[in-house]
Amino acid sequence: MTDNSPSAAFEHGFHTVAERHERIWLFISLALLSLLMAGAMYFVVADYGVVVKTAGYQRHPEDAATGAFAVDQGLMRTGPNTYAVHMLAHLWQWTPSPLHVPQNAEITFYITSSDVLHGFEVQGTTINVTAIPGTIGKVTYTFRHAGSYNIICNEFCGIEHQNMLGRIIVDPANHS
Amino acid sequence: MSATTHGNIALPHASTDSAERRLMLGFLVFGFSALFIGASIGPLQALNYGGINLYPYLRPLLQTYYQGLTVHGVLNAYVFTFFLACGLLVYLPARELGLSPNLLLWRACFGLMVVGTLMLLVGMFDNSSSVLYTFYPPLKGSALFYLGLTLLVVGSLFPLPILLDLRGRWRRQRPGEITPLATYMSLATMLMWFLAGFGAAAELLVQLDPWVLGLTQTVDPSIARTLFWWTGHPIVYFWLMPAYVSWYCLLPKQAGGKLVSDPAARMTFALLLIFSLPVGSHHQYLDPGISPVWKVILTALTLSVALPSLITAFTMALSLEYGGRLRGGRGVLGWFTALPWRNAGVAAQVLAMITYIFGGAGGVVNGSWQLDNIVHNTIWIPGHFHLTVGTATAMTFMGVSFWMLPHLTGRTLLMPRLALASAWLWFIGMSIFAFGMHWAGLLGVPRRAWVSYMPQEAYDRVYGLAHLPLGLVALGGVILWLAVVAFYLVFFGSLLFSRQGTEEPIPFAQAFHRRASYAIGQPVGDLPGEPTPKLARALEHLGLITAFTAFITLAAYIPILWPMIRNATQATGWNVW
Ligand code: HEM
Ligand SMILES: [Cu+2]
Ligand SMILES: [Cu+2]
Repeated sequence: MTDNSPSAAFEHGFHTVAERHERIWLFISLALLSLLMAGAMYFVVADYGVVVKTAGYQRHPEDAATGAFAVDQGLMRTGPNTYAVHMLAHLWQWTPSPLHVPQNAEITFYITSSDVLHGFEVQGTTINVTAIPGTIGKVTYTFRHAGSYNIICNEFCGIEHQNMLGRIIVDPANHS
Repeated sequence: MSATTHGNIALPHASTDSAERRLMLGFLVFGFSALFIGASIGPLQALNYGGINLYPYLRPLLQTYYQGLTVHGVLNAYVFTFFLACGLLVYLPARELGLSPNLLLWRACFGLMVVGTLMLLVGMFDNSSSVLYTFYPPLKGSALFYLGLTLLVVGSLFPLPILLDLRGRWRRQRPGEITPLATYMSLATMLMWFLAGFGAAAELLVQLDPWVLGLTQTVDPSIARTLFWWTGHPIVYFWLMPAYVSWYCLLPKQAGGKLVSDPAARMTFALLLIFSLPVGSHHQYLDPGISPVWKVILTALTLSVALPSLITAFTMALSLEYGGRLRGGRGVLGWFTALPWRNAGVAAQVLAMITYIFGGAGGVVNGSWQLDNIVHNTIWIPGHFHLTVGTATAMTFMGVSFWMLPHLTGRTLLMPRLALASAWLWFIGMSIFAFGMHWAGLLGVPRRAWVSYMPQEAYDRVYGLAHLPLGLVALGGVILWLAVVAFYLVFFGSLLFSRQGTEEPIPFAQAFHRRASYAIGQPVGDLPGEPTPKLARALEHLGLITAFTAFITLAAYIPILWPMIRNATQATGWNVW
């Protein structure tokens, strides 16, 4: 085989050690993966506002622009400190944008598309939802810091995809 | 010359032998030519993220960034990888077993994939189908694109019957023995790919082909996306497993040692077959329309698929250590430096493995639902898969070509030092590139965006905070261009201008407690020291494992698809590029 042909003893010794280490490695790997899994489960149960839910369907995606999906209503108050907004992705804009929301209020976004796939990403937050024509997604988020946030489309949607930007302006809460 | 011995392998007939070599060479050259086009475009994309827009200078060859990106994705991720896999996963087992594969089927495989690729090329270069390699409807390209893709996928399934036939013939001559390792791995890979193929086949044949041919008017985007990822996740193992075959079955020999654990190798492949199938919808963690309960289950299954790769890391490191110690390496890490680093084929593959460690770690992040929220569809993702398919797989195949070209043509490798340089340049370029991509992704920079074509004010406002990492992406891209040039000088140079050399055998590695060769026509030789381990015997039942996998795949997909079918959407097509 090779010029430095191994002595049988070396091979045997190496193999014995290898088998023991293999078992240890397997154990460590399984433990590591179980921990990760437990962590993942915990966050899902705790649902800290990033889990995408399904809010409804539309047989004809283009109906989102005109029908029951209340695109042009802007921010809608739903409780003392809770709001909802219907966010429509369409070639190549976000409606409504710019959107003003109050700081520290719970905002529920309903998101869909009236044409092709888009991606609703709010830079610097955990909000990241696929805008699927015909399916309405829902995610809840509380902006803790006032300021301006970029909405970035992160799913390819055609030639102007890179310019499909929007803006969310978080107005400082009143400390009167 | 009917039983000439080349190293460990016996060749049954000189004439079929040379036909097999020619065909294998066809797969190799066609695949690497596709990569040449695809990889040449890559650095343009890297420069794009650095804010440099070279696309206006490329007309009429490329009209837009998105056209180039479609070509890059399709040629690199589908054409290159499919040709290499369908070549290697037939050629290596046939030589390992000392039998001839069914040449008719293998030629049909080649032919279908070539025709499919040509159709795709027409559909992409006339800019009628800049839908990217994921072709999510309701984006709607030209019929040539989808039909070409259909042929490519169908062709890529042909190695399965070829392998079943090879294994059957071998078993009849060696009753009671377990399948030799390279054949076992190749078969497990093809069984996995067979089950995986149902997703894309259904999407193309039931939804998209009739739609682009005008037989149906609308399409459901969610169902299409789900079927796409049914195939689209396991496809990453169709990219990786052929590279693993080289790592397990060949590299230990090239590194001067042996494979330390044959049963671990089999277990890895059986686990990959099982776990890669039901988890495709983890690419839809952020899609509405799928219940959070299923996403939790997917997270658990997805993390399980890391296990076989962790076993691979262990077995490979140990096999390399064994080789390095035989070569005189001492101390904790001496074995590593003692590896044959001057051998470009070895260096490329060891560097590919090192890169893969980082790719795997990133994959665990992507697979964890909550963390995916931060990185999904940012350029973290292409950063991740250029470490995996773009380096672990691509550079392993490059390393394989360094011995395989001489083996197939009987000519020497031209400029071996340049070959070595190409591997290091690729490694360095990819490391810088991927580091920048991961970092910029965390700052929210999206993937697939022609950002260099945005108004400067908008680019600075949105991506200004990522200037430094995006600069690294561009720098890495330029280094990768040099790597591409170096590699193809060697590759095409060796093919066209090289001198006749000595016959280069296939470097099949022996495993501990296994024979040196299992080829028919080869003396059975010294028997293994121990009886076949129970684990290896149990894993012989690939049919049962496949049936079980099919069952859990259905169990995973029916509950995901059912609500989508009940709430079907009728979306019309869009051509907006
Ligand atoms: C020369 C080295 C390469 C460079 C510089 C490069 C660069 C890039 C860049 C910057 C992107 C991101 C584009 C975007 O998201 O807008 C990309 C995407 C991609 N690359 Fe590469 N690449 C290279 C080689 C490869 C190789 C070897 C493969 C696979 C074998 C590959 C497969 C892909 C795929 C599948 C995509 C995704 C396309 C999409 O999002 O539609 N690349 N590449
Ligand atoms: Cu977009
Ligand atoms: Cu996946």
